[in-house]
Amino acid sequence: MSASNGLIVDAQQVSRVFSMPAGPVTAVRNVTLQIRGGDHVAVRGPSGCGKSTLLHMLGCVETQTSGTLFFDGQDVSRLSDSRRSLLRLRQIGFVFQRFFLLPMLTARENVELPMSEAGITKEARQQRVRELLEYVGLAARADHRPSQLSGGEMQRVAIARALANGPRLLLADEPTGELDEATGAQIAALLDRVNQTGTALVIVTHDLALADRAGRVLTMRDGRIASERTK
Amino acid sequence: MKRGTVIRLIALIGWLLPATAGAQDTQLPAVLVSRQLAESERLTVGSVVRLATDASGTRSQEFRVGGIYEPTPDPSRLGQVPRAVRLHLPDLLDMTRPVGIPAGAEYISSVNVALVNPDDAHQFARDVDARLPGVVALPSGEAAGSAGPFRVLERFHLAIAIVTIVAATVFLLALTIMLVDERRETVGVLRLIGLPVRRILAQILLEGLMVAGVGAIFGLVLAVLSEQLINQFFQWRYDTALVFVRVTRDVALTCVTIAVPLGASATVVASWALLRRGGLRLARR
Amino acid sequence: MTALGFAWRSLVRQPARAALGVLGVAAVGALLLDMLMLSRGLIVSMQDLLDRGGWDVRVSAGDLPGSGLRVPHALETAEAISTLPSVQAVLVIRSASAQIDRASGLPLRTAFQGVATRSTDPAGARLRAPWTILRGRDADASDELVIDERIASEFMLEPGSTITLRASCVADLEALPATRLTVVGVAEFPFQTTNESTAGGTLDALKTACGGNVGHDADLILVRSKGDADGTAAAIRAQHPDVRAATNTEVVGRLQQTGFTYFRQISSVLTTVTVSFAVLLIAVLLTVSVNQRLGEVAALRALGFSRLRVVKDVLSESALIVGIGGLLSLPLGLLLAAGLDRILKGMPGIPVALHFFVFETGALAVHLALLVATAIIAALYPMRIVSTLPIAATLRDEVIG
Repeated sequence: MSASNGLIVDAQQVSRVFSMPAGPVTAVRNVTLQIRGGDHVAVRGPSGCGKSTLLHMLGCVETQTSGTLFFDGQDVSRLSDSRRSLLRLRQIGFVFQRFFLLPMLTARENVELPMSEAGITKEARQQRVRELLEYVGLAARADHRPSQLSGGEMQRVAIARALANGPRLLLADEPTGELDEATGAQIAALLDRVNQTGTALVIVTHDLALADRAGRVLTMRDGRIASERTK
Repeated sequence: MKRGTVIRLIALIGWLLPATAGAQDTQLPAVLVSRQLAESERLTVGSVVRLATDASGTRSQEFRVGGIYEPTPDPSRLGQVPRAVRLHLPDLLDMTRPVGIPAGAEYISSVNVALVNPDDAHQFARDVDARLPGVVALPSGEAAGSAGPFRVLERFHLAIAIVTIVAATVFLLALTIMLVDERRETVGVLRLIGLPVRRILAQILLEGLMVAGVGAIFGLVLAVLSEQLINQFFQWRYDTALVFVRVTRDVALTCVTIAVPLGASATVVASWALLRRGGLRLARR
Repeated sequence: MTALGFAWRSLVRQPARAALGVLGVAAVGALLLDMLMLSRGLIVSMQDLLDRGGWDVRVSAGDLPGSGLRVPHALETAEAISTLPSVQAVLVIRSASAQIDRASGLPLRTAFQGVATRSTDPAGARLRAPWTILRGRDADASDELVIDERIASEFMLEPGSTITLRASCVADLEALPATRLTVVGVAEFPFQTTNESTAGGTLDALKTACGGNVGHDADLILVRSKGDADGTAAAIRAQHPDVRAATNTEVVGRLQQTGFTYFRQISSVLTTVTVSFAVLLIAVLLTVSVNQRLGEVAALRALGFSRLRVVKDVLSESALIVGIGGLLSLPLGLLLAAGLDRILKGMPGIPVALHFFVFETGALAVHLALLVATAIIAALYPMRIVSTLPIAATLRDEVIG
């Protein structure tokens, strides 16, 4: 798992406005942000400050209303939906607060899913799945369904799934939100290890301990980056 | 030759020799023609027509069209255009009596009787059967008999209805299982709080009854609207006044009696399967 | 994992729900197959019935054979028809009502068919009547007859027995003396109805039974052509404009316009209703199922699954439900058709050998096509849901929810 130290995301004055019945709501306001290979960024802020929206824009799930956002040199707003999907499949990994593992698949099959969608051969997939599950410490639980796993174990499988296609950028939205302190610490340690291999990491979190592990901590307020702290 | 056959002969052959259009002759005996025949042959009241007993025009005779009638829709002749003529019986007998046979030796195939008191039909039929051997008397409602075509069609439609109800029940069960499953967490929390199963089931039953009731009413409204559409379509298609679909009070009551308990019990059955699990298991995501 | 594999796993995740969906499709599919079989069943069955025995042109006085009208001077007409170059053989059929006296109780009312063959072709002259001998042999002489199984079992008769019957050829109220005839065979009469009894013999035998008073008319004249039924019918019409000559196909065509029309109509109506019902129910099942999994779908989209892929997943689920249900509907439909056929054959005047439901590959092909269309149409709305799903908003809602 390796990534270059080049610029991955270059967001310039990006904003996101949602049209609501009661009037437009600006979730993200003129944010400028660059993510390079190996970066470890935490985004904090009160509820409704636009953290998740920013994360979604970085992950090409949401497109900006104004400003420019380049991913690996490509203007994301000019890409078609299928090209954006391909970008997410090969270059970006997502870890969600609610894990979103498919309940009818085993841990092995959940991790394998993005690889089969990316067209990787069966042998290569099986090899990689073994490696990833060992990496997250769940090789022995490969054939268990999510309902048979604890919250921490499910999140580890979700991280393995997010790393399946060797993304350059891993985005995590409140990865420890549903976990207790001890389990959350385990997940934080795992994410550190991922970052140490060169994968850029952007985490949205309320968890102070998790945010403190990051090299850069961005604090958002009212859709803007109010402050940035670098270690 | 039976009289009914002769009349059909005239109708089926449909061979008419209309006299000069517009000719009026009130001395001629009158006949009634069916609306369909009048339309196809452009006949009006007063037109003079010539009827014969066969296609070659044997024993043809002129008659005056005294009226145009709408034939009573006959379901057993669906699809056949009723091109028919009605004569006074003496005129028909005169026309069709074989040569050499004296008047009064003819016979007819049936007699319709209207009773002063319709409730006496069965007794009257029994009296006729007893007094006139060789004659069969039947109250109109039983004329078809148990093997009559409409009894058979009734059984056929019932069989179709049963299959439809079975299919609908299966789907309904699948849907209610899904809908009940959506509320699994809520139910789990209620159980954890301490509500007994039967209290929750009673609530679900009430909801099921309401939904089933509204659904049944909606279904009835849909049936009544469809009734109009179907009847209009087939009456146009077959040029008939026959009624094909009728949503009677009994039919509506039967449908509601089946649908509402079915809908309510499907919800209860689906919920019962869910409620057998513990509250904690239900509330866990 | 392929879309179909994914869909399979989604289905078995909720086995009760999936099983019910499949069973529902099976029941609806069975009804659909039956309606398709009914739409042409009578026509196919009647055509088969008419074609049996090889008589391919029917001559009658009315528009349809069996209308009650008789062909006048039938034997002369038959002789003339037999001289046509395209005609191999002609068979005159005259029916009369008869009754067979029982030892006690009411006599058994039966139909008596008398037949006579005319042919200029030696092969044609050897052709026999339109009934099938089951035991014994066909009737040749004027004191012989063949009977059906019902008479045979009722009176415990076998070939070689004698029977006494009274026939009435001119009018129902004739009172003729009983005639003793020898049963030489037991036969199956193709157009016999459920509650009917039928006996058959030569026209001379009928004449004997009717006291010589059979008249010169016939109910029906059957013609066997030398291969060109249409040409033969046209030639007969030219030769005898006063009668109706129709090929078997034309007879079926006329029946389609009249007697069979109800079943065609009801088959069309029920086919439409059944397909609409199936589309609606499967669409609802899929839509509810998809709505319950929006978070998962949004997550898959965020992970890089394309719109096309998630749409294929939904379509595959629909295809699986309808496909498995459709397969089950085949044996179920055939079983149901047998039951419905039994019900409808209880109608008076329906030949025992006639079927309302006939399995044809055409009906199967239409059934499959309709099921495919159902799977696609039912999946349209849920496919639209997943393809237009706002990923970020859905993920947010899932967290809040």
